Amino acid sequence: MNTTPTTKTKKSKGPIRWEAIIPFTIICVLIAAYFHFFFDGHLRRALEWGGYKAIGAEVNIAKLETSFFNASLRIQGIEITDAEKPTHNSIVIGDIRFSMIWDALLRAKAVVNEAAVEQIAFGTKRSHTGKVKPPEPESNEPGMAVQLKGQALSEAQEQAGENVLGDVIAMLGGSDANVQLQKLQDSLPSKAMIENFDKELKAKQQAWDARLKTLPQGKDIQALNERLNKIKYKDFKSPQELQSSLQDLDRLYKDGDTMYKQVQATGDDLSNDLKAMEAQYKEIEKQVKTDIKSLEQHFRIPKLDAKAMSMAIFNKYMGPYKAKLFRYKALAEKYVPPNLLKKDKNNEEVMIQPHPREKGISYEFGRLNSYPLFWVKRTAVSSQAGKTPDAGNIKGEILDITSNQRLIGKPTVATLAGDFPSMQIMGFLVRLSLDNTKSESVIDYVFKVSSYGITGKDLVQTPDVSIAFTKATGAMDIKGSLVGLKKINLAMNNQFSSIDYAVSSKNEIADQILKAVFAGIPVVNLTVDAEGVIPKVPFSINSNLGPELQKGFEKQIQAKIDEARKRIQAVVDEEIGKQRAQIEAQLNQLRGQLDKEVKKAQAQIEDQKKQAEGKVEQAKKDAENQAKKGLEKEGQKALDDLKKKLGW
Amino acid sequence: MGLLLKQIFNFLKLLNSDTGTNQLAWGLSLGLILGFAPILSIQAFIVFFIIFIFRVQIGAAFLSAFFFKFVAYVFDQPAHHLGKAVLENESLNPLFVSMYNMPLVPMTRFNNSIVMGSMIVSILLLPFALFGFKYLIIKYRATVVARFKGTKFWKGFAATKFYNWYLKYDELYG
Repeated sequence: MNTTPTTKTKKSKGPIRWEAIIPFTIICVLIAAYFHFFFDGHLRRALEWGGYKAIGAEVNIAKLETSFFNASLRIQGIEITDAEKPTHNSIVIGDIRFSMIWDALLRAKAVVNEAAVEQIAFGTKRSHTGKVKPPEPESNEPGMAVQLKGQALSEAQEQAGENVLGDVIAMLGGSDANVQLQKLQDSLPSKAMIENFDKELKAKQQAWDARLKTLPQGKDIQALNERLNKIKYKDFKSPQELQSSLQDLDRLYKDGDTMYKQVQATGDDLSNDLKAMEAQYKEIEKQVKTDIKSLEQHFRIPKLDAKAMSMAIFNKYMGPYKAKLFRYKALAEKYVPPNLLKKDKNNEEVMIQPHPREKGISYEFGRLNSYPLFWVKRTAVSSQAGKTPDAGNIKGEILDITSNQRLIGKPTVATLAGDFPSMQIMGFLVRLSLDNTKSESVIDYVFKVSSYGITGKDLVQTPDVSIAFTKATGAMDIKGSLVGLKKINLAMNNQFSSIDYAVSSKNEIADQILKAVFAGIPVVNLTVDAEGVIPKVPFSINSNLGPELQKGFEKQIQAKIDEARKRIQAVVDEEIGKQRAQIEAQLNQLRGQLDKEVKKAQAQIEDQKKQAEGKVEQAKKDAENQAKKGLEKEGQKALDDLKKKLGW
Repeated sequence: MGLLLKQIFNFLKLLNSDTGTNQLAWGLSLGLILGFAPILSIQAFIVFFIIFIFRVQIGAAFLSAFFFKFVAYVFDQPAHHLGKAVLENESLNPLFVSMYNMPLVPMTRFNNSIVMGSMIVSILLLPFALFGFKYLIIKYRATVVARFKGTKFWKGFAATKFYNWYLKYDELYG
């Protein structure tokens, strides 16, 4: 049986797989069908999901249409939920439409000549409550939330007692703080400090007394002097006598030197101890001042200062504005590309702009007047009031939204103007410029509203006092800049007119004062200045309300405030003053010991040392003179002998 | 998945036959390009197009792409350095500026350091891979396949009715 299979020679096929044409066509048709029937829906859902993830609040899109041949996109009915009020939208945009240029798309760039944004409305009611993203779990590293919390705490501390008006009213009530003050004086930190210090000082004093006793006394120095006087320092009869005297002097000098060193070391130690004690004492004095301040806070002794009053009234009013500012900054930090936030100052080259990626680096080889990766040349914004209930009359444009401003050499500029009659907002103007062409991004902004209605706005709401605008008309003018998304500068002018105030206080006098003051202020001005590095941006709030309130309350309570301050000072002085005097006396005693005993002993020993040195010098000179005389005598004798021999 | 498995079986069958050496070598070599290129890039689409339109062994291409994807992953760091050096080369800058502003070329993502590095390596390796794979296939057939066909096990198996039925089936529907 033949086991080898007979192989038929198949007809050889050419290099092209003709039979693949039909499957390939089917795949193309399927792809086209997907894009025609399903892609718009999927993109709409993806945008809603992405928007929710990015903003943290539900985003709804009513309709989305794309066209491959026109490279166009149209999105209708965009609703973004207000995260702080999920029953309402923060913004509604009726229609967004644009088409991209195919010439740019073929170069893998998205360029739009003109986009249109129409029918904008703010704060409209939603058909259903929007979903809001729960707060993210806290990380170990201090995030923006922690930083903001820290800032809020420090601000609260700065505005000691939080509510100046509440303190003023408490002061008007005239509560007797004496009893509490008596109780508190025992728990003063400065008192504990001073007691500890006193104990330490006493221990030191004892130690020093003992150590000073070990120092060479007057009799020791006297003995040294007597020894010195006994040593012969002239008229030496022999070199042996001279040597013996010199040895005695050397021994005496060494003994004196030892004494001197002992006294000097003691003096240095005492001086250092004194310095340390004095520094410690200064700390106690600082603590005393802090204690007085905290007692003033504890008893809510108010500062009758116009600025503090303005801050107290408008701090709550400014709260939402501050929160919004930091929220938008946090959003910008999250989504603005890193190259816009941190630019390489050394690399000012327009053409090459590297973008660091997770893997590798993507370079942008642009040239002037070429397409950047993304560019919307002009976005026309328009809206007509009346088409939808809350829509406004808006007209404006946004120019040059791009991924690379250096390439096109233009900043992004947005200008919007108009009004929202349904919300009583008239004459608003927004001008925003985002410039990334320089080493640090610069955002300049102007926001103006000629008039807007205010109803039921609480300014101060505490158990002691309540101040609110029942009805008012506001006008606002905000200007500022943000450099490198960090350094902020803000100047805000707010004016409230046609005001119906709602002012009340549980204290009758305060109630009368407040009503009288507010009745005389038909127009309230509020000026807010802020300058700093986010999140540490100190806000300075000024208002004409502050000085008026200050004047109103000053007559009534300034005397009481002064009296209360004096009382606190007196209590602290009484409690700490005695010990302070004792301590000062002890410190003076130590200083006296240093000056009197140590320095005196030092001077005496030094004197003895000098005497000994003088005698040593004298002995040496005497020995030299004697040696010289001996030589002269011997020379004369030798000369005489020679003369005799020669018979002269 | 079935289609892919069929292509892989076809690859094994072809590898162990005496024909299709060029198809296999081209498939494996184009798989190398595919493995080193990012999936969403125009060069990947071109290679896919070539694989589908020209009579290149698809199973070999996919197996090779699968294998070289791992090689490329390991090679990411050197590829990044190579690509960075090329892309930052000042003398080549005018060329890259022109390429970046040409139609279609930016879709290769050549401006990414890893893509550029990998692309250079894969293009340089392509001729060596083509001839290398061809040599290895011939060598494999001459040594491993011939020796296996000479074994008693294979001769016994080839004599079975099952094998003859399989041959018939392959001739008619394979």
